[in-house]
Amino acid sequence: MKKTMIAAAAAAAALALNGAVATAGEVKVGSAAAVTGPIAELVVAIVNARNLAATHVNEQGGLLGGDTYTLVPGDSQCDPKAAVDAGAKLVNVEQVVAIIGANCSGATNGMAQSVSIPAGVVMLSDTATAPSISELDDNDLVFRVATSDDLHGRTLAQRAWDHGYRKLAVTYATDDYNSGFAEVFAAAFTALGGTITGNEAHEPNKASYRAELATLAGAEPDGLVLFAYYGSSGITILRNSLENALFGKFLGADGMMDNSVIEQIGADNLRGNIMLSQPASATGSPPYEAFAAAFEATGNAPDAPFVAHSYDVSFLAALAIEKAGSADRGAISAALREVANAPGTVILPGEWAKAKAAIAAGEDINYEGASGPIEFDEKGDVTGTYTLNGVGDDGTWTPVM
Amino acid sequence: MEQQLYGIFLYGVFLLTMGGIYAVLTLGLNIQWGFTGLFNAGVAGFFAIGAYTTAIVTSAASERHLGGYGLPVAAGLVAAMVASAVIAWGVGRICIRLRADYLAIATLGIAEIFRLVLKNEVWATNGPRGISLIPKPFEHLPEPWNQVGMLLLVFAVVAVLYVLLERARRSPWGRVMAAIRENEAAARAAGKDVERLRIEAFVLGAALMGLGGALMAHHIKFIEPNAAEPVSATFLVWVMLVIGGAANNRGAVFGAILIWTIWSTAEILSARLPPEWAVKSAYLRIFLVGLALQIILQRFPGGIFRERRFRTAPSSSTREQPP
Amino acid sequence: MIEFLNFYLIPGLVLGSIYALGAIGVTLTFGILRFANFAHGETMTLGAFIALSLATFTGWHPFAVLPIAMALTALAVLGMDRLFFRPLRHGSTIILVIASFGLMLMVRSLVQLVWGAQLRSFGQGIDLPWVLFDALRIFPKHVTIVCAALVLMLAVHLLLSRTRAGKAMRAMADSPDLARLTGIDTERVIVTTWIVGAGLAAAAGVFLAYDTHVESQLGFKLLLPIFAAALLGGIGRPYGAMAGGLVIGLVEELSTYPWIGSEALVPPGYKTGVAFAIMVAILIWRPSGLFRGRVF
Repeated sequence: MKKTMIAAAAAAAALALNGAVATAGEVKVGSAAAVTGPIAELVVAIVNARNLAATHVNEQGGLLGGDTYTLVPGDSQCDPKAAVDAGAKLVNVEQVVAIIGANCSGATNGMAQSVSIPAGVVMLSDTATAPSISELDDNDLVFRVATSDDLHGRTLAQRAWDHGYRKLAVTYATDDYNSGFAEVFAAAFTALGGTITGNEAHEPNKASYRAELATLAGAEPDGLVLFAYYGSSGITILRNSLENALFGKFLGADGMMDNSVIEQIGADNLRGNIMLSQPASATGSPPYEAFAAAFEATGNAPDAPFVAHSYDVSFLAALAIEKAGSADRGAISAALREVANAPGTVILPGEWAKAKAAIAAGEDINYEGASGPIEFDEKGDVTGTYTLNGVGDDGTWTPVM
Repeated sequence: MEQQLYGIFLYGVFLLTMGGIYAVLTLGLNIQWGFTGLFNAGVAGFFAIGAYTTAIVTSAASERHLGGYGLPVAAGLVAAMVASAVIAWGVGRICIRLRADYLAIATLGIAEIFRLVLKNEVWATNGPRGISLIPKPFEHLPEPWNQVGMLLLVFAVVAVLYVLLERARRSPWGRVMAAIRENEAAARAAGKDVERLRIEAFVLGAALMGLGGALMAHHIKFIEPNAAEPVSATFLVWVMLVIGGAANNRGAVFGAILIWTIWSTAEILSARLPPEWAVKSAYLRIFLVGLALQIILQRFPGGIFRERRFRTAPSSSTREQPP
Repeated sequence: MIEFLNFYLIPGLVLGSIYALGAIGVTLTFGILRFANFAHGETMTLGAFIALSLATFTGWHPFAVLPIAMALTALAVLGMDRLFFRPLRHGSTIILVIASFGLMLMVRSLVQLVWGAQLRSFGQGIDLPWVLFDALRIFPKHVTIVCAALVLMLAVHLLLSRTRAGKAMRAMADSPDLARLTGIDTERVIVTTWIVGAGLAAAAGVFLAYDTHVESQLGFKLLLPIFAAALLGGIGRPYGAMAGGLVIGLVEELSTYPWIGSEALVPPGYKTGVAFAIMVAILIWRPSGLFRGRVF
């Protein structure tokens, strides 16, 4: 009995290690995502977007001398313990050149501090928005294209004010993304002269929020600012509010931007009543449309939360490796700034062949991403551009002025 | 190739560090369940208290959360054990009389309430955003010594705990505990203060769980409420203890490292699937872990290591597991 | 006052009847098989997804496919019992708890493999309520959920009080040794227990999915309040579980009512904690539950 178990374990280990050795003609980048865990429903599209960038690279000549660009999955589970474990495997067993991910801010923070920074591996995050990521002592190894909540919260408050809102109620899910966002928003909106009539947390994943909403609606605000992920509480709150005529107007952010919101609540019920702020290049702008068309062709919705960022980090990691000229971990950080920041030949999502030719010709390039222009500052952060979306006549998310 | 081997060595260091931290938790649970028969399903609660205590005591000052006293790691570890012990004493005072399954559900509920407090009391814990920049011992050494140093620290803790707990098991105190577990009425009749002894075991076990949580916080340098969710911080520890062998310290350590190895390495296998499976491979990995559990349970229904009985104990030949 | 009915009491009743259905299964397995089944939440998820597939395939109303979904879920659970619980039945109960934990992981990942992690729902758009007396807002879907739950509870009552199988179940929950002595076929009772528990769990899953939406962690998120409900009612007491479910559902909702002043009594962030707090309090002051269940 014991022998068979040992034999089975040895066989499994041999198989794993055998696969782990990079085959010739392959460049590996770790793709850490919270595939299981509390935000599992969001992450499917995020992974698809990252894979799309890899497909673009591989279809248009591959990396370096024609090597395959391989994304190795790691499951960060939205839990820093799991993220450290996943990171240790990506960095050490898989020997990845860089890591994209790891989704939740906490998981990203743990993986960066405990694994990738000590190992000198660049980490490029698509979704971590917590301000604490900027404060890491990271030897210039941690980058993100997701904008810090600070900026986004203040921008949303200003937009709400500009749209004539003066009295607002706020509810937020108790997770790292939404709670920080709500705090910044409430402070900024009050500073503008607005009134926050109630600012309440809600525990995600409950079957009904009627009671909380009724309490918030009691102060008769102009609308509800809803910081939530659409799946774990956002849709339920919208439904409860509309069905019971508690709230009619909603403001929110990209955690709510998903087609399923419109599908489930109905476009007619939302049109003119909801505005969501999304940190992405405006729909209609060339970088966004380049990505959106390609992503839609694969059967995915381009306006799902964070997918534009996810495509960008995957594409940027490839650009940086190409620029560095080798799959050498140490060269990625500097190369990343060169390919992302102006000036240079403008590269849009999907334009791998053009980028490859430009790099080969020794030109400087400047990637303009689906999520924004992407200019990394000294902390590795970007300044976002935000688009305010509502439900358009065709029943999709459409920018509003 | 050399780089590859070095990488596998480093991963081994990470694997054993994490396995060792789980071993501390499992040893703590073994005091409660294995030796005394206390069904504590709130491991995550004491884990969280330990982790947050050390985070508050050892991290640098910050306006986002309470404390930030910048004390040395050793002080953090001690504070974590003390904090967990004090809270466990309070919980124990209220709950210790409950029978096995009821105690389990009560502790499970209490741990969830702790987690809600960590999420909602933002002024003290920074809420769901957690506490960052927790110092890690030996982190300023060059690689691989930073990671190896952490591993050695964890192993030293496990070794010291193992020796102390083995001694405690054989001591009169350990025998009284086993007596309470086997036959509470008899222990009571023999004049033992059963309730007090049970609280002692509960507090001691919880202190070790707090220590485990603190080591985890230093290892991952970050703590947030999600890190104390029940699946990976309570149930997984139970799986480790039951599969390793309850009431056997060697089993507790072995079970922790075995189950953590299965939990972690399953991903190396599932990551081998083609990219279309990038999402599904993660689900498949959890499925494989569940299946491995079932197989081990059916092969070793009494745990891999059986309890070692005292030589003086009457040799009742077939003994069931703890109550 | 009318707000209290619309937004606190009625949602509490709907949630409570869903909890109640789930809690019956938990209390029966706990009473008869003697272990806390962590895979019970996943049974609900499985039932909801099976019903979703059937409803999509046939185009019928979810309640029309509910009996088939309940039967299929029960069949799946019987298969799980055969593979994972029966071999361990004569060991200690903690082994069964751990096995149910392993099963929980397996079923959830299977559901994710088959149906994916994304949200799905039975219907689209929003329902507008019937407004009675210009004030009381009643949703058709809530009426159907509560009525269907009552029908199922009545069925459980008839099963337990009128049939041989039901009486055998009650006898076994009261005293397994005595039941065995009187010649009750324990394996058969166990099979009935699984069928009843799984069928009701599937129904609870479908009701919740019908009220909100379905995704792979639907059942897991209900697991702890359902444990609390089962415990509140007293272990092995199906009627207690029904009452316990209603109480937990109601208390969760009512706790956020501004009873004193204009602020919610319990901050909504702590809403889930209320169920646990009640559970702990019951355990300490009345460990047999409201309905005098077994105390092990």
